[in-house]
Amino acid sequence: MTILIWIIQLFFVPVISPLIIGVIKKIKAKFQNRQGSSIFQFYKDLWKLMYKDEVVSKDASWIFLYAPFIIFTVTIAVGASIPLFASFLNGPTSDLLVIVYIMAISTFFLSLAGMDTGSAFGGFGSSREMTISALAEGGLIFSLLTVALVSSSTNVFIISGINILNHSQHLLSIMLAFIGFFIILLAETTRFPFDNPSTHLELTMIHEAMILEYSGKRLALMEWASANKLIIFIALGSNLFFPLGIAQNISWLALVIGIIVFLLKILFFSTIIAILESSVAKFRFFRLPDLLITSFILNVIAIVLIN
Amino acid sequence: MNILFLKFLFGVMFLTLVFLHLTKKNFLATVAYSIQSLVITIVLFNSFLETNNFYLLLVVFLSLVIKVIIAPIFFTNLIKKHALAFSVSTYFSTPLILIIISILTFIAYSDKFLPLTSIIPNNQALLSIALSVIFMSLFLIINRKGALSQIIGILSLENSILAFIIFAGLEQSPGLQIGVIFNMFIWIIIASVFISMIYKHFGTLNVTSMKNLKD
Repeated sequence: MTILIWIIQLFFVPVISPLIIGVIKKIKAKFQNRQGSSIFQFYKDLWKLMYKDEVVSKDASWIFLYAPFIIFTVTIAVGASIPLFASFLNGPTSDLLVIVYIMAISTFFLSLAGMDTGSAFGGFGSSREMTISALAEGGLIFSLLTVALVSSSTNVFIISGINILNHSQHLLSIMLAFIGFFIILLAETTRFPFDNPSTHLELTMIHEAMILEYSGKRLALMEWASANKLIIFIALGSNLFFPLGIAQNISWLALVIGIIVFLLKILFFSTIIAILESSVAKFRFFRLPDLLITSFILNVIAIVLIN
Repeated sequence: MNILFLKFLFGVMFLTLVFLHLTKKNFLATVAYSIQSLVITIVLFNSFLETNNFYLLLVVFLSLVIKVIIAPIFFTNLIKKHALAFSVSTYFSTPLILIIISILTFIAYSDKFLPLTSIIPNNQALLSIALSVIFMSLFLIINRKGALSQIIGILSLENSILAFIIFAGLEQSPGLQIGVIFNMFIWIIIASVFISMIYKHFGTLNVTSMKNLKD
């Protein structure tokens, strides 16, 4: 049964992530008084891209060719290393610092791939991405460190099994850390107000600029990896800060409840992101560091308040 | 009331103060003040539940009407009347403001203020938050250049002091509290009239631009 649970854990992120993108797009469409495409449209898009021919620049090196596979594999590895619906699983890569730095590998290769073909768009996209990532990293580590300090463990499965909401003396710290984490979630997953995932305007795009040269199955992997990253951050936010409903032992009932509750949490986060994207404008690039520093300072305060 | 819920309320109060420091729009500052006042009203209601003093219920009602409803409406009307949508002027930049906020919080939690925050040992965590909110309100008044933001800072200081005294066991008689709320009501009206007069005379509410005040 453990093997079966690990298989579900491994495939959960890549199977569900396109659905989340579809749900966010659907909610946003409703806000704009449009019917919008089906919530399964992203699956169809990925399928279509997988069977399309590719155009690869003659200047592209192995980095451009292999980066989509590396980035996608990283998201699968991280997706399997974090608590999704069960807290009793435990892997060698489940330490929060390991998770943060494995994800940094994907950012590193994404930026390299953006610059590899020598296109101006890719270059500025990579430059912007590294600026945002460098500032977001500190906030991310500090927000996760807050929950680690409260639960006295850096293993994400142990943290989700402890339920930090029971530590009422650290409630303010947890609230501050969650707000800090949510800002980082928006930054790392290229959502509003940091980036607009649905435009290709040179003034605004960050993530889209880096993958502009990609087509066919490599583009599909890049888009899929981006969706995986969103669900990874939602899982970290929902299961480390609000680990309610997560399966604590190996039983079918607990697992089914865990999966249903996790899907509801994903739906809740997706709705919040969709509402945010429908109600706020994208920030100017030079205002983004302020927001990321706000996240960092909130997390610093959160850590200091833990006596 | 559950201590966890009270801590949550104080957390909300702390966050509204952080938001007041960061927001660039006067309307959002007014909304944040309204939320903060609602938190204080709930805390006062908690006092009523513990004491069953009818006059405290009256204080709760007045606080709800004046602080949560009337004061924000006054400010919103002022914002609409004088088109004061933005209030971006601060003496310090955003990163520096955040660093100062964190330092103020550390100071409030430090051993230096332990004699003050441990008046009632069971409420030490709540008193530390209330003290840090007092410091942050004072900093808001000092840091903002806009008169409206400064007024919100003063009102927020009053809220945070009230939060502190409730959990420090220094709560005054309901009669006095009603007097304070009435005083605030009059003060808000006078401040609103003054703001209108200042705006008419100087064309701005930025206090650094009021060069001819002595004339």
